Formats: sequence, structure tokens, C-alpha cells
Amino acid sequence: MSAIRWAYAINQWKPQFDDFVRREEHERALKTISIAGFEGVELTYGTGRWEPLGNPQQLAANFGSVAGFREFLRSCALDGVSSWYWDPAERSMEHLTGPLSPLAEADVPAIVDRARELATALAELGGSVLLVRPVPGAGDVEPLDDDAIGRVAACWDAVGRATAEHGVRLALHVDFLSALRRDHAPRLIDRTDPALVGLALDTGELTVGGIDPLAVIATHGDRIAHVQFKDALAVDDAQEYLQPHAHWTVRVRGGAREVPRWFAEPGANGGLVDFPAITRALLDAGYAGWIVVESDQSPHPAASALLAGYLVQQELGPMVHEQRKAAV
Amino acid sequence: MAWTKWSYMDHWVTETPQGPQPPSFNRASMDRYVKQLSALGFTGFDTFFFYLPVYAGMYGGVPGFERYLQDSGFDKITGIFSAYPSATRYTAPHVRETHDRIVADCTNTLRMCEGLTGVENFIVMPTSTYHQTEPVTDDTIKVVADLWNRVGKLTLEHGMKTTCHFEFWGAIRTREQIDTFLSYTDPELVHFFCDTAQHTIAGVDPIQLFRDYRDRCTGFHFKDTKNVDEHEAYRTPPDPELMAPQVTRWFYEMGEGGLVDFPALMKEIVRSGYDGWLTVEHDKAELGGGSYAEATAVAKWYIDNVLAEAEAEVRAELEAAR
Repeated sequence: MSAIRWAYAINQWKPQFDDFVRREEHERALKTISIAGFEGVELTYGTGRWEPLGNPQQLAANFGSVAGFREFLRSCALDGVSSWYWDPAERSMEHLTGPLSPLAEADVPAIVDRARELATALAELGGSVLLVRPVPGAGDVEPLDDDAIGRVAACWDAVGRATAEHGVRLALHVDFLSALRRDHAPRLIDRTDPALVGLALDTGELTVGGIDPLAVIATHGDRIAHVQFKDALAVDDAQEYLQPHAHWTVRVRGGAREVPRWFAEPGANGGLVDFPAITRALLDAGYAGWIVVESDQSPHPAASALLAGYLVQQELGPMVHEQRKAAV
Repeated sequence: MAWTKWSYMDHWVTETPQGPQPPSFNRASMDRYVKQLSALGFTGFDTFFFYLPVYAGMYGGVPGFERYLQDSGFDKITGIFSAYPSATRYTAPHVRETHDRIVADCTNTLRMCEGLTGVENFIVMPTSTYHQTEPVTDDTIKVVADLWNRVGKLTLEHGMKTTCHFEFWGAIRTREQIDTFLSYTDPELVHFFCDTAQHTIAGVDPIQLFRDYRDRCTGFHFKDTKNVDEHEAYRTPPDPELMAPQVTRWFYEMGEGGLVDFPALMKEIVRSGYDGWLTVEHDKAELGGGSYAEATAVAKWYIDNVLAEAEAEVRAELEAAR
């Protein structure tokens, strides 16, 4: 029986570091997510005073405690947080640490500690998945040799062990700039412990990276621990992700073609992802867990959330229901 | 059971390659608009008389447009809003000589609605601006009433109720003027439409007004305001709604700390046995950088989470009293 739950990622409401900091803005966004038909919200890690939803310390500073934030979510008619996305390369003003790398063995204890903190808070917020960026961007590191893959696998096994103690699953989120796109995510996945480390299937990132999400479900369906639904509007077929600082030059600025926007809400005009086919494949693979809908880079986050809500209510949700009914 | 008959008044502005435009900019833009309203759970659609030719052109007739709405989860077009806010030498409700022209204009609008599932309300602004109409005497109100009695008879023949939506800047705006107007009109032909914000701005209690005219009330615009007009802004020429110097934005969505007590109104509506459509309206939600999508989402959230509770409370009381 399928136990798919729908959540929405709030990161689209924050175009840059000093936007979307006020309580009433959060309230309106969360109410929009709720009324669009989603029961949970996915957070993105952030640091400092202008990231009230970025980490447990900021939640406590802004809402009194992590539990206080859960109450705030409930007052907006949301059940809780589904998941938290964290890139260890993001510095932490709260811990006074710089970027951490899973490739550096010396950083692993700090990465494990930080993940444990996030998992503790997630559990309190009703969440069940910590998503991580497993390796840096392809343009920012040397190609990953076997030794490097081994170090990264050991890091995420250790992190997965720590988060599991809090009932939180670890999911590796491979984006289209990832060094794993060149060096093949399967090499890493296959070297991690399936009991500790899962895969996050992000339909938009994979499609922009020229990887068919349906193929990933076919080969690694049993390792999928989390799903993100967003559409892709273009493919990085010139392999621009290999450039240094591709986060700004390619992802944000659109590369040589100046692609205005790589991603959109599922079902957007010109979208390349076949969401009904992917939903069907996930159901057939027995996926149970969160599907978090996203619309990275949306100029109109509320509109994107409502349009995604329409697709889920009218088409994707009924597919899940049908399967549930058939299984009873 | 929670109220299911929520409709939306067609006011959106949306981003297009040509800047902010109504969603009727093109069919892709309409698709995005209608899907968003449908995702929020609106099943009725109210629109303006001046959009009917636009939609007819886009969808092969107004019935074609309604079928498109129905394919997207709507029940039907529920109301048509018609108005002559600025008096002209051809159309001025307080000038009897223009009535034939107004009736003819309404006839044209009704003709465009032929073949629809069942529009319930023909919503009208009963007068033009106050400053163009004053002095507002009993005789003025009588002339206006005569017009809407005529139109009311006409729309009934097309299955629609003529229902009057009073503006804070219109010539019939105070409680006394509204009472006089309604006493001069035939209750079978002319009905009352309660815009919560407009009455509140004019210093009239919309809940008491509904209580007193429940039998003639055929609809509502649920919208909020943060200001009562205390500076005679209603007299501002040429338009008090967007040009009053004292207040730059009059209207807000529900749930933003405005003056209207919507839970109390909802309770009154349920107690009264009213079973028509309730309409959400946003005027100028984009002022101050707002988004219609978010404003509509927040308003519908308020309906499903706050008003639903108020409704359930009264239904439980009524059930217990049976």
C-alpha cells in the first residue's frame, strides 16, 4: 500500500539572503502551501540572522524553540516539516565554522555532529528525511577517484547512522552541477550501506543533467528515500556544469545560453518532465514517503505553489489514491 | 458540512511578457489563473460585463468559456457585474432620460449570457459617483430605484436576479439612503448584495445590514478594509477608490487584521438559512507589491480554517436546538 505524502519546498520564496525574513511573510507562504493541498513543508539550511527558518538555532531564536516553530506551522494548518536540505559546504555562523567537505576525513566528525543536530530538530518537527549535497560541484573539485568515492561513502554512512538514531533517513541529493553527475552517482550509492543511506530523486535536477529520472527509478528504485518534483525547462547538454563556480555562472546566470530559468513548477508550459509517468513508476517501485514539490527560481512562488497544487489534486494525487484503493 | 458554494470575483492581474495584465492576456495565462482558483477550491466564477466579449472571443462564446471553466473544476459562472460608475450624458442612473440606454445596455449583456448553466446574480452599482450625483435627495433615490425596478424585471426574464452592490463612494452609501432605496424598489425585482468592505468604509455595519435585509440578500463580496472614511474621501473627484489623498489602498484580503468581523458574519449567514453563493473579491491586491495568487490563497486559507470553524459552531448550535 502506498504511503506517499505531499509537501512543498519553501525555498522558492527566498530569492536572496536578505529577503523573506519577516514572520508575516512566512505565515502567508505557509498558509499558501497549506491551502494548495500540501501537508508538510521542506526547509533549506541557512545561517545567520536573515535565515529564521535555516537551522535549529535560528528557529529557537525566532520562535522560542524548535517546538515553538512546530506550533507556528500548525497554526498555519500544516502538519510539520517533511525534510531539510543541507549542503555541508555552507558555512555556519552559529558554529563559527567554514565550509565542510565530505572528501576531507578531518571534517567528518563535524559533519556528523551537524547532521545529528538537524536530525534532532527534524524529528521534533515531524520530519523524516535529511537531504544532503553529497559532494561539491563538478567544477569545484578534481574528478572523484575510487579513493575519493570511498571517503565520501564512509562519511555518509557515518552520517546516516547518526540521523537514524533520531528516526531520520539520510538521502543524497544529486543536483545537475554535482561532481557525481560526471562520476556517476551509482558508484557512490553502491558503496554506501542501504540501511543507512538513500537517494533523493529530484526530477528537475536529473533532467537538466541529462539523466532520465525513470531510468534512476528502474535501477535504484529500492534506494529512493525521498522525492522532489520540479520541472526542467532546459538541458545542460553543453556540459557547462564542469565550469568552476557553476552555481552562479550556470545555475543562476544560465550559462552561455543565458537560460532564464532552468526549473519550474511541475506541469509548467515547456516542461520536460513527465510527472504522471514518474508517479506511476514510483508507485510500481513501491515508493513510500514524501514527495516534495518545488519550483526553484519561480518569480511567482505563490502562483507556482497553487499550480503545483492543481496538478497534485487533479492528476497525481488521484493516481496515488487509486493505487491505495486497489491495494485495500 | 462546510460551505461549498464559494465563488471568485474576476479581478486578477498577472505578469505577462508585456508587464502586468489581466489573465485574459492569452489562453496560457488564463489556464494558469483558472487552475490556481480551482486548486484553491473555488467552484463559482463571477465576472464583469466588459470581460464577456473578451472571453467570448477567446473561447468561441461565453458558454464556451463556461465549459472551459467546468473542465477545470468549476460548477458555473455565478454572477455578472455591471456598472456605470462615472455618470455620462448617456448613462447616469440618477438621470431618468438615460434609463432607456442603460436598459438597452443591460439587454446586450444579458444576450451574451444566453446558453449559460445558470447565472444567479446580475450585480449592479446602483448609482454613479456621489460627487456627480449630489445632492442626493429622496427624489434622486426614487429615480434610481425606478431604473433598477425596470432592469430587475428584465433580468428575471433571463433567470437572473438584479442585486445592488453599494459603493462607499456611490450616491447611495449611508444606512438611511440604502433603507430609502430599498423601500422604493420592488423586493421581487431588486435585491441586496453585501460588500463587506464597501459598507464598512462608508460607516455602515454590513452584518446588521444583512440581518435587516436577509430576505433580499443574494450575495456577498468577502473583502476587508483597514479604514473607515472619516475625511469625506467619498466625495473625491474624479474617483475616490484609487485617488483619495488620505487612503492609498482601501481593500485587503481576509485574515490580514482588517475591520470586518468575518466570523460573526459567517455565523449570521448560517443562522439565517441563506444558501446562496459567497464570493471572495480582491480589489487592487497588487498595491504595495502584493500578489493576487498569494492574496487569494490567504483568503481561502482563512475560509477553510477560520470561517469553517465559525460555521461549524453555529451548525452545532442549530443541531442541538432541533
